[in-house]
Amino acid sequence: MTHVFAVMYRDALIRRTSLMWLFFDMAVPLLYLLMFGVGFDKAVGMGIIINGSTVNYNEFFLAGVLSMSCFGSAINQSYGFFHDRETGIFYEFLTYPMTRGEFLLGKVLFQCLMSIIQVVITLTAAKFLLHIPLRFEQVPLTVVVVMVGIAGWFYALATGAFVIRRNDTFNTFLNVAYFILMFISSMFYPIESLPPWLRYIAYANPLTWHTDVLRYLTIGIGELATIGLEIGGFVIFLALSFYFAVRALKKAV
Amino acid sequence: MKTTAISVSHLVKEYHGKNEIPLRALDDISFDVQQGQIFGLLGPNGAGKSTAIKILTTLIPPTSGTVTVNGCNVVSQPLEVRKNICVVLQENAVDSFITVRQNFLTFGRFHGLTKMEIEMRVEHVVEMFGLREVLNQQAMELSGGMKRRLQVAKTFFVNTPIIFLDEATTGMDIHNKRATVAAIKEEARKGRTIVLTTHMLEEAEELCNAITILNHGKIIAGGTTGEVKKMGLQIFYLRLKFVEISKQLEEALKHLHPMKMEISNSAITMTVREHSAALQALSLSQTHGSLTDFEISTASLEDVFLQLIDGKKASVQP
Ligand SMILES: Nc1ncnc2c1ncn2[C@@H]1O[C@H](COP(=O)(O)OP(=O)(O)O)[C@@H](O)[C@H]1O
Ligand SMILES: [Mg+2]
Repeated sequence: MTHVFAVMYRDALIRRTSLMWLFFDMAVPLLYLLMFGVGFDKAVGMGIIINGSTVNYNEFFLAGVLSMSCFGSAINQSYGFFHDRETGIFYEFLTYPMTRGEFLLGKVLFQCLMSIIQVVITLTAAKFLLHIPLRFEQVPLTVVVVMVGIAGWFYALATGAFVIRRNDTFNTFLNVAYFILMFISSMFYPIESLPPWLRYIAYANPLTWHTDVLRYLTIGIGELATIGLEIGGFVIFLALSFYFAVRALKKAV
Repeated sequence: MKTTAISVSHLVKEYHGKNEIPLRALDDISFDVQQGQIFGLLGPNGAGKSTAIKILTTLIPPTSGTVTVNGCNVVSQPLEVRKNICVVLQENAVDSFITVRQNFLTFGRFHGLTKMEIEMRVEHVVEMFGLREVLNQQAMELSGGMKRRLQVAKTFFVNTPIIFLDEATTGMDIHNKRATVAAIKEEARKGRTIVLTTHMLEEAEELCNAITILNHGKIIAGGTTGEVKKMGLQIFYLRLKFVEISKQLEEALKHLHPMKMEISNSAITMTVREHSAALQALSLSQTHGSLTDFEISTASLEDVFLQLIDGKKASVQP
């Protein structure tokens, strides 16, 4: 465990050198919610019908913002590998007395710690600025789900970063992947409003699963059976991502 | 009693490029390193030195063969191996966003040192490698040589039983080379085992107890430094000074078939293979010329090295 802490300690030292980065990391979900969400809230004045109930767009979008920020955190963290490769420290890390798994775990736990602050800021703003009726008793569970989300996406993207190796190629890969995952999911609109063939793809998208679980926790929308299935799906996704990330890291030199 | 720190047996490493025949970077090499030894892995560029270091430090897996480090197998017990080593890779490796001091702090933490231990040791290595003025600078602001110093200094900061140094002194000035050499010797005295690669043969000659020379992935010589120097042919280096050099003397010396011979207006330097040839050269100089001064030394490791590598080339080329 000392090595996991050492990885986190090092990430904290680095993050501390750029306060602007730190600030935006914390504030981006909030900004999304305020700018994007509020705009759409006005445009979709009569609200959104989902699972038979009507909610306003802000309420609907809150879960999307949270899951989006998980994906963003994972992008941030996985990008670091390219810089570390360039300076060569990446290779030295791999000779330190820790397992590949510990290294990756430390990376994720640091980002998870940051996310607690992120979630608290976002939820506070949602409640007091946008007056979204939150289920406060669910906040601890929401934090847990956010962490699991970060881990799942981080390991998936880290696998990509280890395999692709080239910064510019990874960039393109990310842009395409993010675009497809985001728009064929329940992040911006209910899946029911998609054409049938897209709907099937959306149901197979881990981003949908994660967003749906967060939506259930924040505003109580969704059927418990479906949510359970989606939790299971995401946990499997996380396990697979971790497995492949460790495997790819072993071959990353 | 000698204990084996590292054992390499029939190690092969092939790199598989895109649809080409695989490149054999290491071709069935075997050697042992004893505890407390300073072991030099020598060879020209592309010989396979870094590849060997990467396998020994668990960065890449071998294609075949067995490697153990402090009794632990690099393939089946990589974590155990890593607990016993610290490494300076050939590529520069500093954590560029944080300060030099923080580089030491993180390195120490990864190697299980407490904050107290770290603070105490930082003082020592910072002095040794002249890093005091830059201690609070961001590592990315350092010059290339400084970065190398930081990277090497970290190794002498922890106390793992085995140290790997891949071209550690490359890019350093004389002063820091000295510091590195001194540090290496001190650590070996304490019983740490040191494996280093270098293309600076003088450095190897000064430091190493044992040497293995690689060329095209194969071992072409190995043994104690003395044994390797004695290897192959006996080579002597002569420096002869005259008042005047006659054509006759020049001709006579050429008949000894020197490996190398240079003539300036009052001195001849030559390298010959047999000690009888060296003696003959001396007596010829006295009978045919006005010898005023002379110097004979045995060949440097560099001469042996060049000869071994040239010999290898000669036997391959038609
Ligand atoms: N990752 C790699 N992929 C393919 N070939 C490689 C790789 N690394 C090294 N090589 C090749 O293996 C040979 C040995 O390289 P290396 O071990 O770096 O030699 P040295 O350190 O002695 O200069 C060289 O021909 C080099 O081009
Ligand atoms: Mg090399």
